[in-house]
Amino acid sequence: MDESWTLVNINRLIMKKIKNYIKTFLLWELWQGLSVTLRNFFRPSTTIQYPEEKTPQSSRFRGLHALRRYPNGEERCIACKLCEAVCPALAITIESEVADDGTRRASRYDIDLFKCIYCGFCEEACPVDAIVETRIHEYHMEAPGENIMTKDKLLAIGDKFDNLITKDKAADAKYR
Amino acid sequence: MSNDIIEIEVDGKSIQAKKGQMIIEATDTTSSYVPRFCYHSKLSIAANCRMCLVEVEKESKPLPACATPVSEGMKIFTRSPYAIAAQKATMEFLLINHPLDCPICDQGGECELQDIAMGYGRGISRYNDNKRVVKDKNIGPLVSTDMTRCIHCTRCVRFGEEITGAQDLGTVMRGEDMRIDTYVEKSIDHELSSNIIDLCPVGALNNKPYRYSARSWEMIQHETIAAHDCVGSNLYAHVLRGKVKRIVPRENEAINETWISDRDRFSYEGIYSDDRLMSPMIKKDDKWQEISWKDALIEVVEKLKAVDQKSSAFLASPNSTLEEFYLLTKLSNDLSINNVDHRLRVVDFTDQDNDPKIPLLGMNIADIEKCKQIVVIGSDIRKEAPIIGHRIRKAALAGTQIGVINENINEYFFDISAYLSGSIIKNLLGLLNVLGGESPKEMQDISKQIKPTEEHKEMAAILNSEGKGHLILGHLAINHSYASVIRTLSAKIAHLTGSELGFVTEGSNAAGAHLMGMLPHRGFAGASQEIVGKNVQEMTENSLDLLLLFNAEPGNDLPSFSFEKAGHSLVIAMTPYATEKYKMTADIMLPIGTFAETSGTYINCENRSQSFSVIANPVGESRPGWKVLRAIGSMLGMSDFEFESSEGVLDEISQKLNDMPASNIKPNYSTQDLTNSKNFLDSNLVQRTPMYEVDSVLRHATSLQLTPEACRSLAKYEY
Ligand code: SF4
Ligand code: SF4
Ligand code: SF4
Ligand code: FES
Repeated sequence: MDESWTLVNINRLIMKKIKNYIKTFLLWELWQGLSVTLRNFFRPSTTIQYPEEKTPQSSRFRGLHALRRYPNGEERCIACKLCEAVCPALAITIESEVADDGTRRASRYDIDLFKCIYCGFCEEACPVDAIVETRIHEYHMEAPGENIMTKDKLLAIGDKFDNLITKDKAADAKYR
Repeated sequence: MSNDIIEIEVDGKSIQAKKGQMIIEATDTTSSYVPRFCYHSKLSIAANCRMCLVEVEKESKPLPACATPVSEGMKIFTRSPYAIAAQKATMEFLLINHPLDCPICDQGGECELQDIAMGYGRGISRYNDNKRVVKDKNIGPLVSTDMTRCIHCTRCVRFGEEITGAQDLGTVMRGEDMRIDTYVEKSIDHELSSNIIDLCPVGALNNKPYRYSARSWEMIQHETIAAHDCVGSNLYAHVLRGKVKRIVPRENEAINETWISDRDRFSYEGIYSDDRLMSPMIKKDDKWQEISWKDALIEVVEKLKAVDQKSSAFLASPNSTLEEFYLLTKLSNDLSINNVDHRLRVVDFTDQDNDPKIPLLGMNIADIEKCKQIVVIGSDIRKEAPIIGHRIRKAALAGTQIGVINENINEYFFDISAYLSGSIIKNLLGLLNVLGGESPKEMQDISKQIKPTEEHKEMAAILNSEGKGHLILGHLAINHSYASVIRTLSAKIAHLTGSELGFVTEGSNAAGAHLMGMLPHRGFAGASQEIVGKNVQEMTENSLDLLLLFNAEPGNDLPSFSFEKAGHSLVIAMTPYATEKYKMTADIMLPIGTFAETSGTYINCENRSQSFSVIANPVGESRPGWKVLRAIGSMLGMSDFEFESSEGVLDEISQKLNDMPASNIKPNYSTQDLTNSKNFLDSNLVQRTPMYEVDSVLRHATSLQLTPEACRSLAKYEY
């Protein structure tokens, strides 16, 4: 082995030891960390005070489902069962019948929220934009059976959030 | 190679075709599919949809494959750019006026237009103008119309012209204004007419009771057998979540081809009637109470144990399965009860010992078309067995001579060579005179007075012409007050003319009932009985100790039932329905399943046995009939009643039939004693059951009860 080479290495090791000793003595790394803290201390805050504060949502957010109506109040859903057929989680159950006015209507429209994976396929499949996924993501169930969203519940959500849904659909329309 | 076979080339592959065949028939034997709407193998060629255009070498234009005969060396291209362009263009024209309402259309998912548009159409539409709208027709309670969807293939029109002959639908106007119409406002009114539902390639003609209740892709298809006539048409039941949603035909060239009667198609509605008996019930102090199956069975078993065999009887509907008949007779044998019967509407039993082992049609259903002469005696054949009626029509169109001997004059949509209306017996005597046969000695006085007319001579000429003839006795003859006289005379005529005598029996399994010995005078496989039991009449006109009714409703299924007398017996009813008549007469009611809720076997009129399995969930607490009988058998402590399944019962039946020496009972009607038949020329000897009332399920099929046919029989009980 080359003798001079070994000597250089030993020198370096000694220098490193001295440097570390001084750094330890001066609490160098602590100051380094504190400087990050100090920098962020003056940055604007990103924490959200949920539930008082909320993050912004995309108009395409896929949350709780709703069934929509036409502006004249008529239910949109025609019980074509395309959503039921496309649902990969088999979460939707529909029964259809001839309504009093002779049209095709769902006599039962159930979505099992325990099965649903919020993929949004039902919304994509619907030929009349009846079933949609809203931005609602805060809901809970207290009793068994509440996980089933019946047609009445879904229509009620649609009625309540009609403005929002209409706006969201309009915002997304140009990309479709 | 015979001259009839020629060599052609389809998409580069050379194949053999028959001379005179259309291109589409030849390509259908290969893997090249030619799209089509108007072509249907059972109908004539109309060539009006132009969907089947293909390229043929050396032809200047694309040619319709359904209407172009093949010729030697023809080179056909079904998927060449030229053919595809022609098909695309046709598709685009068809879609101009077709509404885009697939999501609410019941045909969606099984629509030929949808499929072919996917396979042969453009992805987008270039048409932005107004579409045509056509007013819907009300054509009765069975078929719904959405005429805007019609693509004018005229399959439905041709069906009326060629298959039923009733010509209910036709085309009016032309070009843009062309419509399918009934000319005058009326309901389609033929027992096969609902087949236009399957024929219509789009959703213009659809199933009305099924309307909007399910989608084609979500139902499960089960094979089953029709349960209302002796034909045993093959069916598919489409079932959603355990409920039958609709019935469609299953192709079987030997039986029903691709057709089924309206009765077989819509009877399923009866399964979900409000009248269904939901749980076992018992009458206590004239009040009906629900009880558990266990208690009900214990009750029944106690009653059966305590009973006097001589004064007890079992009556079963001829629609029961082979297995049910077997278990019923096994039970009755073990209890030494001889009074069992299934011939619920038969009145005349004097010649029952001369009956054949199994009353059959005497030929295969498909062979009807090959017969030279057919004489139908005492039968509204169109209503009794629509598929046999259709086969007879086909035969008539192909040149078979058809004769009819019946009380009344019915409408047949084909030429009848000779029609003898009025008293069946009188006409048979007249015919016998013309044929030079000797009438039975008891009748000779009367026979002499009957002057043979021209029609008698024509009828005799038919039977005497060359080739083997067939005499078919229908329900009216079998249920006639002097059925034995009709049988004697018919047998004599058959003997004189070398014809075959056949029967169109009531119910779907009369043959099975005969084979299982559900008869007072015969046992299993026709074995003779030491003690001859009571027949239906004797059972129902008098009071008995115990009467077990297996799906046989007093009054409706049992016209001779005396509510004053038999009604006071201890009546155990195993029935799917709790109707007023059951409630009036029965003491215990056990809910059994209809044909959809049980598995079993039917034997049809050509001795073909067809098994089927359970297709629907039981309604309420009903159980398959064979299970109930099985449970009663084992609770009575009888041996060999531990069946696990209806197949197990069937195995035992086959085993026993194999072990039996072949009994050889020949019908022996020509020599029987007719001394009791004095008033056989009276009127009102015929007992007619309306077509949609022959069994309990049909009586509860709501849509069928709204048809013109049902209304007519309701109004007058006359056709
Ligand atoms: S979001 Fe997806 S999983 Fe949920 S109901 Fe719709 S299709 Fe089914
Ligand atoms: S929600 Fe839409 S896709 Fe689902 S059944 Fe109704 S109309 Fe059809
Ligand atoms: S109603 Fe149907 S079967 Fe009849 S012509 Fe129109 S498309 Fe064809
Ligand atoms: S199928 Fe050939 S023209 Fe219609």
